[in-house]
Amino acid sequence: MSTIVIDHLARVEGHGGITVELEGDAVKNVRFDVFEGARLLEGLVRGRRYDEIAPVLSRICAICSSAHCLTSLKATENAFAVEVSPQTEILRELLLRGESIESHALHLFFLAVPDYLDRPSAIAVAAEHPAAVMLGLRLKKLGNLIQETIGGRAIHPVNAVPGGFGKVPGVDQLIAVRGALIEAMPDAEAMLDLIASLPAADFCHSDTCFAALHSPNSDRYYAGDELMVVSNGDRAIVPAASYRSLTNEKAIPHSHAKHSTFRGKPFMVGSLARLTVNPKRLTERSATAPERLKLSIPSDNPMDNNKAQAVELVNDLGLALDMVERLIHDGVKDEGCVPVTPRAGTGVGVTEAPRGLLVHSYTYDEQGCVVSADVITPTAMNAASLEQHLRKTVEQSPDRDQAALKKKLQMIARAYDPCISCSVHLIRK
Amino acid sequence: MGKPTVGIFGLTGCAGDQLAILNCEDELLDLVSFIDIRDFLMGSSGNDTGCALDVALVEGAVLTNRDAETLRAIRKRSGLLVALGTCAVWGGVAALDRNADRARLLEEIYGETGHGYDSLAARALHELVKVDLRITGCPIEKDQFLAAIAGLLNGDLPVYPDYALCTECRMRENNCLLIERGEVCCGPLTVAGCHARCPELRIACIGCRGPLDDGNPNSMLEMLEKKGIGRRQVEDKLRTFAPIGGGQ
Repeated sequence: MSTIVIDHLARVEGHGGITVELEGDAVKNVRFDVFEGARLLEGLVRGRRYDEIAPVLSRICAICSSAHCLTSLKATENAFAVEVSPQTEILRELLLRGESIESHALHLFFLAVPDYLDRPSAIAVAAEHPAAVMLGLRLKKLGNLIQETIGGRAIHPVNAVPGGFGKVPGVDQLIAVRGALIEAMPDAEAMLDLIASLPAADFCHSDTCFAALHSPNSDRYYAGDELMVVSNGDRAIVPAASYRSLTNEKAIPHSHAKHSTFRGKPFMVGSLARLTVNPKRLTERSATAPERLKLSIPSDNPMDNNKAQAVELVNDLGLALDMVERLIHDGVKDEGCVPVTPRAGTGVGVTEAPRGLLVHSYTYDEQGCVVSADVITPTAMNAASLEQHLRKTVEQSPDRDQAALKKKLQMIARAYDPCISCSVHLIRK
Repeated sequence: MGKPTVGIFGLTGCAGDQLAILNCEDELLDLVSFIDIRDFLMGSSGNDTGCALDVALVEGAVLTNRDAETLRAIRKRSGLLVALGTCAVWGGVAALDRNADRARLLEEIYGETGHGYDSLAARALHELVKVDLRITGCPIEKDQFLAAIAGLLNGDLPVYPDYALCTECRMRENNCLLIERGEVCCGPLTVAGCHARCPELRIACIGCRGPLDDGNPNSMLEMLEKKGIGRRQVEDKLRTFAPIGGGQ
């Protein structure tokens, strides 16, 4: 028996590795090893008051901290039957757009693209292609500007609280964001050209099952309580409250991330899943982007998740601009938070984090203190699907050259945009 | 003299401080022209994992034996070790209850499989190795990070505020959430440096930068008790990111 071991994955968030065991030419075992320390935050928040939960649980992950914060608030508000204002809903949606723009730009330019150009890092890419890296930095900065304007900080937002926002942004701030978005439109085009010019990454094909928040009429990261799973053309709806039927997880010894399957099948979440589940997702502005990138949906190539991120990046810029213009036109009201009255019960919040579906669910006592907390992250949901695609990658490589295989395996893992700190946080039995 | 060699490392945490470095979008390319980043797993797949380093920037807390070994190895190869962020400086949110029964929590979360996991109560870096500079914050503030790099390039260390967040809050002329609204605002016990970001947004400080060296938690507990807020609630809040009263 021989093994291929990548003991510490680089250019991903967190600590993980890959192990492939071969017997002759046959792939015997494939593992995505997660050895990130378990912080047990869901256990540690027990007994804490409802207004302290989002700030602690947003710390699960920095790159998805806005999504964790808002999913947490959604779960808490759901438990207490709090309805936030339409203005709050738009501002939250916009905050998630900002996070997605930042996260996709970071992933594409700093984590994924260096592989296609055979360079170890974006810094090395910058030595030959400074304009490309500066383009990525500008897009990333724009995402952070949106997060700072709405959330009060680019990492671990402080302004979003149960019932609304501490202080809503002023019109002058929104006008500045609008200006930055308009200025970024040529950058979005240049980004598409750059991604389209990369060499093809075509070494893993597999029937894939996808899951995402279902948005029948519009494209959302924040609003919506229905999940959809798409598998071989079949579509199944899972209400948010029944999320466990989707994330039927099991703990495994080699990883601090549990594995999820839907009806016994692994499923993929993230950009490619969102585009597959919500075919009407794209606005007119970005409708031609998939064609320009030679991306056809549904795709059986997990590397296409990178292209899907590029498509979403363009789409998100357009949608963020629409939202900002609507807010400027309607005027932002300093309306304060809606009152939040704790009560005993359970609430579920589901959103789309940049790397896929994110679930928070809490049970509260009548004082509004946490009795139990579940957090299920996209990377945890993706773990089983990633292992399946790592296996296919080895099986479909005629050449068993270790260095070439290692590179392909790492590219597949990175295409999932894993957030390994996130993956450690899982449901209680 | 060549460029100083630098390593950027993450122990257990959220990667927020490494992300805060990558968020210096306007400065990043200049930054890498002044320093030679030799080992940065989150940013590069071509790292020298054994070379001597002039400066190691380390974020996250120690939560596993693997973290402890990694940290000791980093210390050994580095001239200066900088603790980056509240987890590295204080233990952070993972240390919010260091007396929790971890074996029980692991079993509750992972079932029997959890018994074999490498899992320790969270510790700050200084509890294991010598730390030369602490840049606190959850996450760190960009300006304080850049000041540290500028200082290191010039052969000295930056001086950070050692006064309470209230000083910054008053300078921004905010209404006091603690005195005027009776909210549990951790400002009086939290070290300044964020320009009172949260109270500026009418949100009480949750102490994410960690405690002031000479804060007086008892006076705050008494004051809030008079306003009808129980000791337990205030203590819980004060303990979220660091032990009450500091003690470094």
